[in-house]
Amino acid sequence: MANLPLTPASSTRLEWFDRWRYRLVRLIGPLALLGPAGLWLFLLLVLPTLLILQLSLVPGLRPGQAITAYGLGNYTRILDSVYLGVIGRSLTFASGTMLLCLLLGFPVAYWIALMAPKRWRSLLLVLFILPLWTSTLLRTYAWVTLLRRSGIINLILSALHLPTQDIMNTHWAVYVGMTYDFLPYMVLILYASLEKLDQRLLEAAADLGANPRQTFWKVTVPQTLPGIAAGCLLVFVTSLGDFVVPTLLGGTSSKTISLLIYDQFLGPARNWGFGSALSMVLILAVSLAIALLLRYGNREAAAA
Amino acid sequence: MPRRFSSKPRLAATRRHFLQGSAAAIAGIALSNCGGVSDVQSSDAGAEPTEDGDAGSAASGASGPLYIYTWADYTDDQLVQRFRDKTGIDVQIDIYDSNETMLAKMQAGGGDNYSVIYPSDYMVTQMIDMGMLTEFDKSRLQGLDQLSPKWESPGYDPDNSHSVPYSWGTTGLIYNSKELSTAPADWTYLWDNKDALSRRMTMLDDVRETLGAVLHSLGYSYNSTDPAELEAAYQRLLELKPALASFKSFGWQDELLGGDLLLAMAFSVEAIPVTLEDDTFQYVIPASGSSVWTDTMVIPTTAPNADAAYEWINFNLNPDVSAETVKRLYFATPNAAAKDMLPEELLSNQDLFPSEELLAKCEGIAPVGDAIELYDRYWTQITSA
Repeated sequence: MANLPLTPASSTRLEWFDRWRYRLVRLIGPLALLGPAGLWLFLLLVLPTLLILQLSLVPGLRPGQAITAYGLGNYTRILDSVYLGVIGRSLTFASGTMLLCLLLGFPVAYWIALMAPKRWRSLLLVLFILPLWTSTLLRTYAWVTLLRRSGIINLILSALHLPTQDIMNTHWAVYVGMTYDFLPYMVLILYASLEKLDQRLLEAAADLGANPRQTFWKVTVPQTLPGIAAGCLLVFVTSLGDFVVPTLLGGTSSKTISLLIYDQFLGPARNWGFGSALSMVLILAVSLAIALLLRYGNREAAAA
Repeated sequence: MPRRFSSKPRLAATRRHFLQGSAAAIAGIALSNCGGVSDVQSSDAGAEPTEDGDAGSAASGASGPLYIYTWADYTDDQLVQRFRDKTGIDVQIDIYDSNETMLAKMQAGGGDNYSVIYPSDYMVTQMIDMGMLTEFDKSRLQGLDQLSPKWESPGYDPDNSHSVPYSWGTTGLIYNSKELSTAPADWTYLWDNKDALSRRMTMLDDVRETLGAVLHSLGYSYNSTDPAELEAAYQRLLELKPALASFKSFGWQDELLGGDLLLAMAFSVEAIPVTLEDDTFQYVIPASGSSVWTDTMVIPTTAPNADAAYEWINFNLNPDVSAETVKRLYFATPNAAAKDMLPEELLSNQDLFPSEELLAKCEGIAPVGDAIELYDRYWTQITSA
């Protein structure tokens, strides 16, 4: 508005029209840019979520039935120890995977960002995220081939006269598969964070007599904390919703919340109301995690 | 029957199909996980839909392509080709992997273009109750009188008023006869030999089949709704669980052939091709009986092309066509006239056509009403604890 010539006496009709046209143009710009994505989000994210919310409030709803009464029955049913157990298992898988990814990913990202020859960095990073170019399903099947009783790992072990391992169809197999799947994300995010690390601070710390360990914990880690938090969150959230790995590698007791939701929609019970309530809980849990990150991230940025 | 996948007699093909099938299943989960109720579709290579939707009139009087929704390996290119040669109707085939997936898609309106679908027995009952199936005009069906007496008026659909039985089979155990010193004879074998079989056997990932088999082995019905009986079956299955590698409805072939598994609970239509390929692997129906299932052809009320649907059903009721299909795809046929045309080697195959005495001990799976919630809860408990 500032560059419009507005003199007190210039309220003629033409100028009034110009001003409105200008306002319209200013409105159309953002609308044209945000509109398509906004519509997309509204139709494919907001609307379905609201529908799920509505379904979740109808106890025992099965497809084809008319909605009769609303209530919180579906949500109180989640408090059943059996279903809480499933949620607990999912959380354990997700946090375990998150920790493993952090422990394995940090040294790799650190090495690529700070120690590897500069001209190799991009190539190394690409090599590391190369597995993401194939489908998760294929990569998980590859782990079946590796871990199964007659698989490659056991062939090597028996060739070395070592005892063979029965890893397939256990929780360990789930951790192995999930960590493998999500490690590239963690490395990518940590790399982005470590790359921006102010190296002068490391030198300053060394000059002031800090040993490498002190430097790492007191300088490197605090500076990369937002990256660590973001990486952990991403891995946690994706592994919480994962169902491919638990299905194919997990054996008899690896039911996760996403598989439980699948059962409610496409299994024999077909309780869409309960399935929707479980979905809402999952959505809320993920939103909560993101909200925590935003708050935590901001505080971190403010402190920096 | 739920989640049946392709299993061609050649093992190489079996593995390939297994991967495709599993990929389809996972993709199915992926889609449904997004809140949708869509299903994976795989098109039959032999058929192309004609461009003119309802306008083009084929020689028979039926119009447009015929869309069919069925299990993997219930139709093949030869069958479709022969139908097209005879009637001039193009056929487009989509595949589903469980009755529930099919039902969800039909209910969500995603299956409005299908004129023929292939639900199993209990699902037929359910769909009739929901008013989803067309009542047949019997004057337009030829060959119903050739059905075996057992299927003249099946319990799931009296008088075949809404469904025509297409195939049937059993659920049993397939095992490696070279590795197991004694052959399994009954369900109790699993409990008696759980140390020898430890983590080298699988059961179906299907609550009605697996918990049902345990119920049956305890002398109860597959369709029990008694909480005490279900609790007893749950406890009994819990006892066996540490010895199970996983619950698997498909994909066991690869692990059985590779030697990882010694025994798998399986549907006959999946197991028989494996036993015919390699006689190391034997299929057995437990002596106390198991579940026997029938898959049918029905016309949904939403069918856009009922004329072509009747053509297709009549074509498949033709004994000659039916017998040829059985010879290629290995399922038992309820069509007595077609059975008479089968070669001796298939007729004498006890896995494909078990004795009447044994069949009398088997049970069909039927809807259990609200008790399904109890089944589901026990199943969640077993698969998560």
